[in-house]
Amino acid sequence: MGMTALTMPPLPAHDDRETVIDFQGVVARFGGLHAMGPTSLTVKRGEFLAIVGPSGCGKSTLLNMVAGTLKPSEGTVRYKGELVDRINHNVGYITQKNFCLPWRTVEANVRLPLEFRKHPKAETAARVAAALEKVGLKGFEQAYPKQLSGGMLQRVMIARTLAYSPDLYLMDEPFGSLDAQLRTRMHGELLKLWQETGATFVFVTHDLHEAITLADRVVVMSKRPGRPKLVVDIDLARPRDVIDVQSDPAFSAYFKRLWTALDVH
Amino acid sequence: MSMFAKQGGKSRTGRLPSLVPESVAAIQMGIALFALLAWETVARLFRTDFWTSSPSNVMVELWRWAASGLLTSDLQLTLTEAGLGFLIGSAVGGLIGFILGWNRLLGNLFEPFILSFYTLPKIALAPLFVLWFGIGITNKVMFSGMLVFFMVFFTTYQGTRQVDRDLVENARLLGAQPWDIWTKIALPYSAVWVFTGIRIGLPYALIGAIVGEFVAAEAGVGFRIKEATSFFNTAAVFAGLIILMVISIILLGILKFVESRALGWQSAKGSIQPETQT
Ligand SMILES: Nc1ncnc2c1ncn2[C@@H]1O[C@H](COP(=O)(O)OP(=O)(O)O)[C@@H](O)[C@H]1O
Ligand SMILES: [Mg+2]
Repeated sequence: MGMTALTMPPLPAHDDRETVIDFQGVVARFGGLHAMGPTSLTVKRGEFLAIVGPSGCGKSTLLNMVAGTLKPSEGTVRYKGELVDRINHNVGYITQKNFCLPWRTVEANVRLPLEFRKHPKAETAARVAAALEKVGLKGFEQAYPKQLSGGMLQRVMIARTLAYSPDLYLMDEPFGSLDAQLRTRMHGELLKLWQETGATFVFVTHDLHEAITLADRVVVMSKRPGRPKLVVDIDLARPRDVIDVQSDPAFSAYFKRLWTALDVH
Repeated sequence: MSMFAKQGGKSRTGRLPSLVPESVAAIQMGIALFALLAWETVARLFRTDFWTSSPSNVMVELWRWAASGLLTSDLQLTLTEAGLGFLIGSAVGGLIGFILGWNRLLGNLFEPFILSFYTLPKIALAPLFVLWFGIGITNKVMFSGMLVFFMVFFTTYQGTRQVDRDLVENARLLGAQPWDIWTKIALPYSAVWVFTGIRIGLPYALIGAIVGEFVAAEAGVGFRIKEATSFFNTAAVFAGLIILMVISIILLGILKFVESRALGWQSAKGSIQPETQT
């Protein structure tokens, strides 16, 4: 524990880490629909941020703006100080959808981003192998996606993202379609990954347990038009055990606070 | 045992009694032999051979056809017509289906025209093709090609249009350039549909050639069938049909082989479970 305290000091009030994402007065409108905003929010390097909120409040919209697949109707989105005005190749984007190409083996699917990015051949093989190893898919290199279960497909998606080591992971309810046990296991693996890569994670979910278990900070969005309604720092010790952490009295306190803010009827 | 059977169909849905492949083949041979025998018997007993001919008569007719040298030249002609029509129709249909399927703008633009052709019975165009291309081989190639074109085109177009747009966007996030999208996503994705279209379209290549020969021709398997009909030569009609049957079986066999080579991933079977907990 002492070690943990040493390596993971409590965050100072004025965080001097680099700002990775900076939303300033961001509004999303689709036709006449005011979907989201104005939202202002910053995410620091290495942070694990969770966003929760009722469905349709604009959570995915926020991620799309960081990825550069959607432009804000008003306001600005910056990635490491730079305006996001085209596809942002520094992000890894993982959703609950499985985007495996069915005609490619697991290995060839994980290699895909490296082919796109014209990585040197020699380095590519090593990266793919390392990524597969990390998500526990060693031995499944030659399998085809249709032979795999939902949980394994999700691991392929994560490995594919790991392969090109993005600085920022955007995860949009990535485990939404998995059963509870598998989900908990994936939480453990994800936290390990986060700690090993030191990357920044933005994790969208509507599951408060998931948000508190994983994140450093949880943002609660209001109903549509969604805006940040409450931001809570989750001061639970790291590294976290995804099972033990749930029996921490602080956990249920966070849960109550967030639940009230979420205002689910 | 009987108790389980009574208590519900459940125990019966488990699995079918399995047969070894050799015995399946033997039984199939038996069925074929029986059918031929029945055919011959009925023809002789009830003197129906004017309408039904009989296997022995058909064999004689086939032999005569082959001996005259016409079988080879007829086959050559019909196969050339169907083959060229197949190649042209598949290539053009696959290409245009691919382009209109991937390009939303073009696809939407042409959609009403595509739909109006979809329901048209294309066979009805045969006389028009005689008018346009004469009664020679060009007519049959074009007609057969047109039939195959529509089959391959519709299948490719509709299949390709179903592609998940998010898949393409995801590829762009992974760093794909337009060229990568075409070669690594679009082409392999559409290949499945092109192949499906080709498989559906293949019999139409032959149908096109035969119908073309029915309408107006001077040689070919279809022409020979029509000619035999006008002489009430039922045996020769059946001889022609048997030749057609053999051709299509061979063609399908070739196609299956090519397909299994090109789309090997589709035949990957079984589900793989992790053995070790990770
Ligand atoms: N491309 C789009 N076109 C039109 N409406 C959209 C589009 N994307 C999102 N919306 C709408 O904006 C709102 C927020 O969407 P989204 O960000 O997906 O919500 P969430 O992820 O929080 O459930 C929803 O009402 C949705 O219907
Ligand atoms: Mg969403």
